[in-house]
Amino acid sequence: MTRAQRSLYIWLGLAAVLIAFPLLAPVLPLQPTIGMDIPHRFAGPSAANWLGNDEYGRDVLSRIIWGARASLAVAFGSAFCAAVIGTVLGLLGGYFRGITEVLAVRSTEIVICLPPLLLAMLVITILGAGVLTLTVALTILFVPNYTRVVYAATLQTGGLDFVKAQEAMGTHPLKILARTVLPNIVPPLLVQFSLTVASGILLESGLSFLGLGVVPPAPSWGLMIRAARAAMDQQPLLLLWPSLSLAGTVLLLNVICDRLQDVLSPKTAARGGAAWLRRQIKRTPGVPAPEVPLLKIEDLSVGVALEHGSMGLTKGISFEIKPGETMALVGESGSGKTLTGLAMTGLLPNALNVTDGHAWFRTDNGVVDLSALTEDEFGPLRGNEISMVFQDASAALNPVHRIGDQLAEIIQRHRPMPKAQAEEEVVDLLRKVGIPDPERRQRAYPFELSGGQRQRAMIAMAVANAPKLLIADEPTTALDPTIQAQILRLFGKLKDDNPGMGVIFVTHNLAVVKEIATHVSVMYAGQVVEQGTVAEVFADPRHPYTKALLASVPESDAERLESIPGTVPQPGAMPEGCRFAPRCAHAAAACAAPQPLLDTGAGRTTRCLRWADLWKDVA
Amino acid sequence: MSPVIEALELTRNFPSRSGLIGAKRDVWALRGINLSIARGETVGVVGESGCGKSTLGNILLGLDSPTGGGVRFEGKYLHDFKGAHRRAMRKRMQLVFQDPFGSLDPRRSVGAQIADGLRNHDVVPGSETDAEVARLLTLVGLDPSVAPRRPSQFSGGQRQRIAIARALAPRPDFIVADEPVSALDVSIQAQIVNLLADLREELDLAMLFISHDLHVVRHLCTRVVVMYLGRIVEEGPAEQVFTDPRHPYTQALLAATPSLKRPAGEMGDVLDGELPSPANPPSGCAFRTRCPLATEACAAGVPPLEHIAHDRKVACIRAELTGGKGGLQ
Repeated sequence: MTRAQRSLYIWLGLAAVLIAFPLLAPVLPLQPTIGMDIPHRFAGPSAANWLGNDEYGRDVLSRIIWGARASLAVAFGSAFCAAVIGTVLGLLGGYFRGITEVLAVRSTEIVICLPPLLLAMLVITILGAGVLTLTVALTILFVPNYTRVVYAATLQTGGLDFVKAQEAMGTHPLKILARTVLPNIVPPLLVQFSLTVASGILLESGLSFLGLGVVPPAPSWGLMIRAARAAMDQQPLLLLWPSLSLAGTVLLLNVICDRLQDVLSPKTAARGGAAWLRRQIKRTPGVPAPEVPLLKIEDLSVGVALEHGSMGLTKGISFEIKPGETMALVGESGSGKTLTGLAMTGLLPNALNVTDGHAWFRTDNGVVDLSALTEDEFGPLRGNEISMVFQDASAALNPVHRIGDQLAEIIQRHRPMPKAQAEEEVVDLLRKVGIPDPERRQRAYPFELSGGQRQRAMIAMAVANAPKLLIADEPTTALDPTIQAQILRLFGKLKDDNPGMGVIFVTHNLAVVKEIATHVSVMYAGQVVEQGTVAEVFADPRHPYTKALLASVPESDAERLESIPGTVPQPGAMPEGCRFAPRCAHAAAACAAPQPLLDTGAGRTTRCLRWADLWKDVA
Repeated sequence: MSPVIEALELTRNFPSRSGLIGAKRDVWALRGINLSIARGETVGVVGESGCGKSTLGNILLGLDSPTGGGVRFEGKYLHDFKGAHRRAMRKRMQLVFQDPFGSLDPRRSVGAQIADGLRNHDVVPGSETDAEVARLLTLVGLDPSVAPRRPSQFSGGQRQRIAIARALAPRPDFIVADEPVSALDVSIQAQIVNLLADLREELDLAMLFISHDLHVVRHLCTRVVVMYLGRIVEEGPAEQVFTDPRHPYTQALLAATPSLKRPAGEMGDVLDGELPSPANPPSGCAFRTRCPLATEACAAGVPPLEHIAHDRKVACIRAELTGGKGGLQ
């Protein structure tokens, strides 16, 4: 059970206890609610009457409990009836659209245009006061809320693939609604229900207060407040009890509603320190900085903080990049390639942090350990000496600022200069990354550019300050083939223009690696399994995973593709020894022990113990 | 062999308006598509986003209606079937989606979702439903004991297998696979491609395979059509189209596709510019604005899709100049 669930059950339990009292009122040893006892009117709390007596000498406690019956019956009754009617209307309107939508959804919206209290009063005037009429009036009031919530949720769910799959399967539309759409819109429906109950209790009290609800002498919270208001001078406590019950119940329902949302929403907030907390966490390097050409990563591990300790996501990543080299991090999803890239820029998600190792980087002011820098120390590096290109440019660019302004900002942040000069640089940069008509285009907002041009604009931001290290995370994955080719060519050109720039290129596409990179680190389940130059690793792979990965690319003439059986192990359930062993055709008994990265000569490494036996001819 | 499904002069436009008071304008998703698929045949549809390939798949399945033209399934027009008859037809045609995480209902067990297709059409007697679900799961390489689990307990590749089992449940004759492997990792992708190839042979299915990965299409498909801005620009046997492309767009697409076999840095001529807006396509040949061979004549009229060999068609008036350039290795 998660924390959110525990908290929900505690509040639900409290609500159940509170509801039990009015439900059990007939069997509880309560004093009569109607008989008058004039001598004891306005008596204060006593052992016999815990909350005192009211203006007719009746016991307040028993009237509160009996009054809750009326309030809760009206609130739950109207919320339930409205939920049923509203859900049906919303489902039909949202799924069938067209004329059904006009009849079901738009017509109920007329109700929203009328002031709620006036509408309720109108219904009650026509039908006469009483608990039943009140329920009818509130049901009419609440139906449009449900209809709209369900309608919106149905529109959203109806467009999803699994609903389309049901249509393609020839399922009857009403069956699709009941079996597939309805269960998937329950979360917002439940939340709406608890909101409506709270609002129903308030409205019932309000209408009873006005004399339009429950008919005296039957008790109700609204009536009690009304009576207590008249007698406020004599006994102010009388006003306190029903008001407290009312406020408490509504608060309780709102809390339950919040907790429900937490439990039902699939995106429960990730735990982990806030950004300001993260600033404080500083790992002292402890070891003196070695001499590095550009970037040297040593045994870097990233983990996620859990309630009990932490879970490793990547383990012992090591590689080195010299100026001008392009290192491709290649692997399948979950291999840790993106995390390694993010760790270099200090942009790991809040719950994640570097648990071990170093990332030595040569800045203009000496060598620093990127894995131990604080947020403030990263400031002058990011966007300047280290910069990053993301996969989704439309999400990475700020949609409300012009492209040119975003570029000028990053230039002026690190190299203060007059506005006019910055603007000139912006135009030059945009021209360099191949955006046509840069003078005009710099005034465009991101949404006015096509996907390929947005990617170019983001690359322009990344290279604006001539970084020493460029980290590109799947920069071409979301692009069409012809645009991907243009962007790859652009990367090639930028590398030619800045021969000292090192590039980390994160991708899952082996053919792209071959096109763009000089060196490659093949990653599997959070570890590097093989390293070397692209030409050598691709021509002569020395790890069974690399070999299998290359063979599974559908470019061979073989009738069947080589596929790797099984799936990537999940973090937390990693095999003890070689992480690839459970899927490996060559696994031996010795593979059950943890495997080090072995040097295979000529700057190449593999994490396979058997590489020499398996490929004797090459060794 | 008589085709299972035929598209005849299919046209689909989506009305759109620029801004509140802008002029009304049609976005042409499909224009004059003719295509037929026979049993045991897998036709690949390739093209960039916005070329209309997914719209074509939806219309062939009857999930969307064409603005003009029609779809014939075993000689009968789909638009002649309404209501319950249309739903009964659905049994014969199925769909496999791109996103294995969105295509399964997260709140129902996978067994129940596979069984839906069986129950809807009474494919097997009610008492044999469980056995049939087990058979289908085995067919796609999963253990039958996983049926009671929810989709969240499966990986992407396993979910795609489940989605395929669900599509196979009503025993369809025709399957549209819309980018079924592009959301999967390379090694998993190979498993699914192999599975589709096996199923096609075992079940003698007609398949429309929509993808932007040319290598996968080449590996799996018998025939391929290349689309650009709603029209077919080239059609022919997969091997021929990929080794000897004749339309300049096909050539550019192949040149742009990174390959393990091509030596590094020898990428072919990279096409300039981007796909024009389908709301405002160029006059004449839609590709002429990016075409290295374009002449004035290309703007005059839309080039017809003409036979250049027995089973090959190209829509280019300068096709005689394009031979022998830039195939996939």
